[in-house]
Amino acid sequence: MISRLLKVTLTEWKLFFTDPAAVLLLVVAGVLYAFYYPTAYVNQTVSRVPVAVVDLDHSAKSRELTRMASATQQVEVKAVYNDMLEAETAMAREDIFGFMVIPENMEKDLLNKKPTKINIFTHGAYVMLHGTIGTAFSTCALTVGAVSKVKAIALGKKVPSAKAMAMRDPIPLSIQTMFNNTGSYSNYVVPSVLVVILQQSLIIGICIMGGARGHRRFRRNYRYSEVENESLPYRYLGRSLAYFLHYCGFILFYHCFIYNVFDFPRRGELLPMVVFAVVFLSSVINFGMCLSQVFLHRESSMQLFLNLSIPILFLANFSWPSYLMPNWMVAISYILPSTFAVPAWLSIEQMGGDIYDVAPKLYLLAIQSVVYLVLGMFLTHVRDKTHFNTGDM
Amino acid sequence: MLKGLLKTIGKIYFGHKIVLWMILTVLPVGVSVFMLEMFSSEIVQHIPIGIVKQDNSQLADRLERALQSSPVLNVKLICHDMGECEHAVIRGDLQTFIVFPNELERRTLRLEAPVIPVYSSGQNYLTNMFATKEIRAVLTDVGSELFTASFEDPIKTEIHSVGNIEGNYQGFLALGLVSAMFHLAAMLVAVYVGSFPLRDKRVREFYQYAERSWLTLGIASFVPAVIILWLEYMGCYAYTHRMLMPMGFEEFVMVSTAQLLMVICCVGAGMVFVGVTGVMRIATGVSGVIGGPAFAFAGQTFPVMAMPFAVRCFAFVLPLTHVLRVQSMMLLGDVGMLASWEVIKLMAGMALFWTLFGGLTMVLRWQYRLKHDSQMPVVVDEGNPVAVVRSRFKNLLEKIRRRKND
Repeated sequence: MISRLLKVTLTEWKLFFTDPAAVLLLVVAGVLYAFYYPTAYVNQTVSRVPVAVVDLDHSAKSRELTRMASATQQVEVKAVYNDMLEAETAMAREDIFGFMVIPENMEKDLLNKKPTKINIFTHGAYVMLHGTIGTAFSTCALTVGAVSKVKAIALGKKVPSAKAMAMRDPIPLSIQTMFNNTGSYSNYVVPSVLVVILQQSLIIGICIMGGARGHRRFRRNYRYSEVENESLPYRYLGRSLAYFLHYCGFILFYHCFIYNVFDFPRRGELLPMVVFAVVFLSSVINFGMCLSQVFLHRESSMQLFLNLSIPILFLANFSWPSYLMPNWMVAISYILPSTFAVPAWLSIEQMGGDIYDVAPKLYLLAIQSVVYLVLGMFLTHVRDKTHFNTGDM
Repeated sequence: MLKGLLKTIGKIYFGHKIVLWMILTVLPVGVSVFMLEMFSSEIVQHIPIGIVKQDNSQLADRLERALQSSPVLNVKLICHDMGECEHAVIRGDLQTFIVFPNELERRTLRLEAPVIPVYSSGQNYLTNMFATKEIRAVLTDVGSELFTASFEDPIKTEIHSVGNIEGNYQGFLALGLVSAMFHLAAMLVAVYVGSFPLRDKRVREFYQYAERSWLTLGIASFVPAVIILWLEYMGCYAYTHRMLMPMGFEEFVMVSTAQLLMVICCVGAGMVFVGVTGVMRIATGVSGVIGGPAFAFAGQTFPVMAMPFAVRCFAFVLPLTHVLRVQSMMLLGDVGMLASWEVIKLMAGMALFWTLFGGLTMVLRWQYRLKHDSQMPVVVDEGNPVAVVRSRFKNLLEKIRRRKND
């Protein structure tokens, strides 16, 4: 029994290693993307963002504020302008991505205990830069303001400066980041993308091989093949085993090599990793086996899934929360293994979650796997009985 | 020539299977609308947070009420201990949790400034950023009212996002994603249109339809695709833009010009992939490898300036990077016009290069295939007859017969 199964497995393996299109997707894509995608984010965070200061005050205080902004790590003050139009033009040229406007009479107003407002302008198209520039400039401005306020409290309430400081901010916050301490963009985006890459390349690869089986020339060439005439369960499970073993290798490669090369956190424990690999791969493989019975041309699955890769990534709940999506969209997302696999992988590998933490998601993947297994076998049975007109003889 | 052109267009676009119309219209438009619906709530709200209340004082209750009343936050869990909240973060049920430490109120009243730890997951960049910003604002607000309510902050800051007043980054992200969709779709369509005659061995048939003119065949194959994709792209862009501020006429002209040039560049690139590889599945794979992750390299999510030099060069070659620059420059109004004009000139050069290069490689590939096919015996599949070849051949035979009879 096992030898019959392994025979199908080895034949399938041999078949996709001799097919250039399948090699491109099932071998090259998985390796290439793993290097290609994270390289863009190898610097991890954005620092020294070019900015400017529009100084309308020209006072000692405004120069102090400019110096403070220059000293921060997040931004680099490229220029000090005298009017806003110059700064706006520089921002349009993308020489700078934000600027701070120090109002006229700021120092005078501070001395006269009159409140003053500092406006910070950031480029509306770049969310990351908005956060970085906004935080850097407002920290500097509020620090200058805090010093003045502490002085005012100390004088007004007649308390020592230490007490005045405590009265200004009686419940200070300390924000701790639990799992992505450096605030790295690559740690946030790449692990999720790697799971989607595994899913997409595997589904398209299986469909390419399935598409070939819908081709008349394939049927002619392999009509006397022992493996192609094997009974349905052996044929189905043997082929699935080939993809499963192949992609287990990819998960190991990502965990042991790619995560090391790009310095991603590796907190995954053995048991949840193994269970994840089993349920995720079986769900994707069975899903792919179902779809492979639908496409008649080998390229059709590529054309469909390449177009769908962006929505599939966003449906995985890693970037845009699912509770903000319409309900019908959430329902569609339940069809895809990545919807549960991406959060489960992040919990295991990035956050060091144990088997109990990820169990609800793994159960859902297991249910998907069983449903697609039954459907896949049924569709394979239907296709076996179908006469094809596609392709050359 | 016009008759031949129209006949060839009809044969390619209307005498063909559904796949072409799927990848030309249904998928790009459908996926764009899908993405817009995904971001229909526009801003991040109701971020699930937890609270560990070690102090059951009036101040802790006041802070909790303040957090609950924030529309950005959703206090989903009151944990008994830190471990409970930590596991909820790992499970993905919470994004952040706050600890109100023991004796919070007593120490606050004694001006000991007890620190409130806020633990953020850090794994979800956008949600965590909004959550911590809001928590800081809410708690600082309550804190400032405790002792120094009469003391106004001497310096206040106001952060303006130029061209995106409501801070609707999802709206702008959707614009970028729509562009990325059409960037990929244009390559895939060009690959399909350029390579299906090769796959189905129909180069000779189309060449006959185009009255033996490679130029006519090229125009008939690719120009309708460019026009259709451009119109769809403009429509989807305008539909997406309603989430942001209204678009002026000049902005519309500049952006749509950039979009047309991007579509031409991508179609040209698709032609090159087919011309070089000559196989649909390999050319589709190459388009996928280049066009699929293009959005990640185009600089809208992670700035190009922070990428390594080699990646910056790759980003520069992608038409998507430039069209996104024009779109973002247009957010700044009139001051962005001059700078975006420079980008459009660059894109025009790129479009010319890709069209010429693509045209050359396609013609060489078609010529090669025509020569190759003419050396092969013609196999007529009874189930799927090649109508044109047979009818012309039949006509010719009939002509010869008639002449003989005459």
